[in-house]
Amino acid sequence: MRHLFASCLIFLFMGCAFLHSCQQPANEKSLAQLDFKQLPLKKLSEYGFFAGELSDLLPNNRVLFYEPASSLFTDYAFKSRFIYLAEGKSVKILDNAEGEIDFPDETILIKNFYYPLDFRVPEGKKQIIETRLMIKMNGSWEAYPYIWDEDQKDATYKITGGEKEVKWMDLEGEDQLIEYIIPNKNQCKSCHNQNNEMVPIGVKAKHLNHEISYGDRSNHQLVEWNEKGFVSQLQDLENLPKMINYQDKDQALHDRAMAYLDINCAHCHREDGPASTSGLFLNYEEKDWRKLGVFKTPVAAGFGAGSFKYAIFPGKADESIMTHRMASTEIGAAMPEIGRVMVHDEGLELIKNWISSLSESEMRAHFSSDFEP
Amino acid sequence: MMKQSFSMILLVLFLCCSCGNSNHDQTFDSNNLLRASEAAVEKLIEDFILVEDGGTISIPEGFYALKTQLILDNKKTITIQGAGMDKTVLSFRDLKSGGEGVKLSGQNIKIENLTIEDAPGDGVKAQHCDGITFRKINVTWTNGDKSKNGTYAIYPVQCRNVMIDECIASHSKDAGIYVGQSENIIVKNSLAFGNVAGIEIENSDNAEVFGNVVKDNSGGILVFNLPGLPKSDGKGTKIYDNEIIENNHTNFATALNESPNGNTVTMIPPGSGVILLAAKEVEVYNNKIHKNKTVGLAIANYHITGFPTDAPDWSPFSSDIYIHDNQYERTLALPDLSKEMGQLISVYNAHGKGKTQDIIYDGFWDTRISDDINTNPMKICIQEPQMESLHFTRFYLLEGEDNIKSFKAYSPFDCSLKVQTNVSAISNL
Repeated sequence: MRHLFASCLIFLFMGCAFLHSCQQPANEKSLAQLDFKQLPLKKLSEYGFFAGELSDLLPNNRVLFYEPASSLFTDYAFKSRFIYLAEGKSVKILDNAEGEIDFPDETILIKNFYYPLDFRVPEGKKQIIETRLMIKMNGSWEAYPYIWDEDQKDATYKITGGEKEVKWMDLEGEDQLIEYIIPNKNQCKSCHNQNNEMVPIGVKAKHLNHEISYGDRSNHQLVEWNEKGFVSQLQDLENLPKMINYQDKDQALHDRAMAYLDINCAHCHREDGPASTSGLFLNYEEKDWRKLGVFKTPVAAGFGAGSFKYAIFPGKADESIMTHRMASTEIGAAMPEIGRVMVHDEGLELIKNWISSLSESEMRAHFSSDFEP
Repeated sequence: MMKQSFSMILLVLFLCCSCGNSNHDQTFDSNNLLRASEAAVEKLIEDFILVEDGGTISIPEGFYALKTQLILDNKKTITIQGAGMDKTVLSFRDLKSGGEGVKLSGQNIKIENLTIEDAPGDGVKAQHCDGITFRKINVTWTNGDKSKNGTYAIYPVQCRNVMIDECIASHSKDAGIYVGQSENIIVKNSLAFGNVAGIEIENSDNAEVFGNVVKDNSGGILVFNLPGLPKSDGKGTKIYDNEIIENNHTNFATALNESPNGNTVTMIPPGSGVILLAAKEVEVYNNKIHKNKTVGLAIANYHITGFPTDAPDWSPFSSDIYIHDNQYERTLALPDLSKEMGQLISVYNAHGKGKTQDIIYDGFWDTRISDDINTNPMKICIQEPQMESLHFTRFYLLEGEDNIKSFKAYSPFDCSLKVQTNVSAISNL
């Protein structure tokens, strides 16, 4: 009897141990021991970024949640982002207009794309589509895309991209169904590109200079980074650049529009980005109305130009190439070129309101030559 | 041998494209090729991602239906090698996202012996390349419906050392062969047909365009400088030994009955052989410029577009142009009336309404240099044999639409000048 009890205990222990190891296929220790020469790992779970069920995305030690003030629209997907830095490693914020960040080698950025089944219950059941890693090694970044398995237990490294049917109920309670496009590995650099080098986009001081929620508490995230040793020599927050959340209706229309264009367009449309060819620059810091597109004719827009002459026709949102391309889902015309198959109605409305608010005569004053309207 | 087969393709093409306004001619029918298996397509996508410096991506015969872009990212000394223009076909008809079918960046990249079809945006784009060779590639759209065709077929931009050789570009809604914001360029022995613009050199330095056949486009060969670009003004282009023939195709850059949009190419009047727009240091010689119904060669300034003409480090004027020893043949067809520039030529030329012009100069000039255009302030030089018998018109447009004047006198422009190009360093690419 006693014997039997003991066996039961042992069995129970074994079971626990087994269960435990199932839930945590990779523990914190394995993350610290990550061999960067072996990358990329075949399964996302092998990295050990997350504790418990992988799909709960509960970060392990040294994996820190972060959130940019404004977020790129990718077919209404939700995103959760984390940065991993080994113990003793930290980033440095550079003294420039955007507060770009100097990352040490072996930094990992983790970005999960998911859809809650019901957008009105964002913390409820969800479908995770993909997890994109950006890993810095030998001074340069590389992207590693993982596609989540059907059973949502793990994600598998796949470089050739793919498509996935995604369903959700939107905020109005309407069913939505799309064929979500997962980019191939080299498409990552279509956006993550500065002077033809791969770079992160959302991890700059201007995007991080605000307070966020860490579950049961809130903190300014750069302060959090400082407290956790993720950043060294943190500057006075007041002196760091700061971009707003374009969704914040208390902010000025111009600032909201610029924030939207920055996070949705400026990764390409900037002086050192792949769309520099167009001469249309849409970063938050840009002040030259011509470079922002006012009375600017297209260069290689093709049928993307629709029947319009200028990227922005001040005062005429419906006669501007910018809104025409945002309102299109036709490949070749739709902007951004990758990352969406739907129209972002709220973003389009914001940019239309902004263009409508611009005065044609005031804008003409920026030009010395006469030209046709 | 390869040369011979290329000539054959040219010959076949000529036999079947003597038609007029809308042709859907293809150099061959890719439907007859065996479809590559899904695994082979997947492998091709992987090859573009995983190829290492110095490597070759060989693409065996077959029809590859791609749903994602093929991107070569920042690699060195790579050859992308098909089994032949009529053997290896990359079709992007099913592409769901991405601005171009094939995108290339890196150093010493070659793409050869294949066909690219039906990319929704551009066919093949090369950006930030130093050393990029397109050889014996055919880029086209197979739709009858032109409104769905893509923008550029062969599209190097922001590149140095560009070679385009024995290629075919057809049916693009903008330019078939478009070289933008680049330097050191050769475009030779290629064929551009059925595009809005055949070959276009834009905001680029040191280019030679020779030995090409440019036929049945709306505009044959264009040299443009557009304002407000990172590469602000290009200079040094020679265009010689080309056949620029019957570029009378409808301009389908915008839908029928729609007026031009902000893309300059939408303003091109069908029937234009060569158009220089805000071009700098260009020499055009020894070309056959035949049967372009509106104008053989037009020298234009950016003012004619009606768009803003101020931009940093850029001039809206064409200057230092030398046109000589070309052969012109006019047609009896009426010049274009569908575009403003066509109307200007048809109605206001100096030789009589409805007459095709061989050479026109739109007659804007920089009045800060001289009050009198007869002093040839922009250095426009024209020395054609039998100039007497050519239809030359200089317009005067400074007094607005209601007071357009035109002149036959060419003597102010009877001069020569030296245009410098040197592409010998890339002739072995």
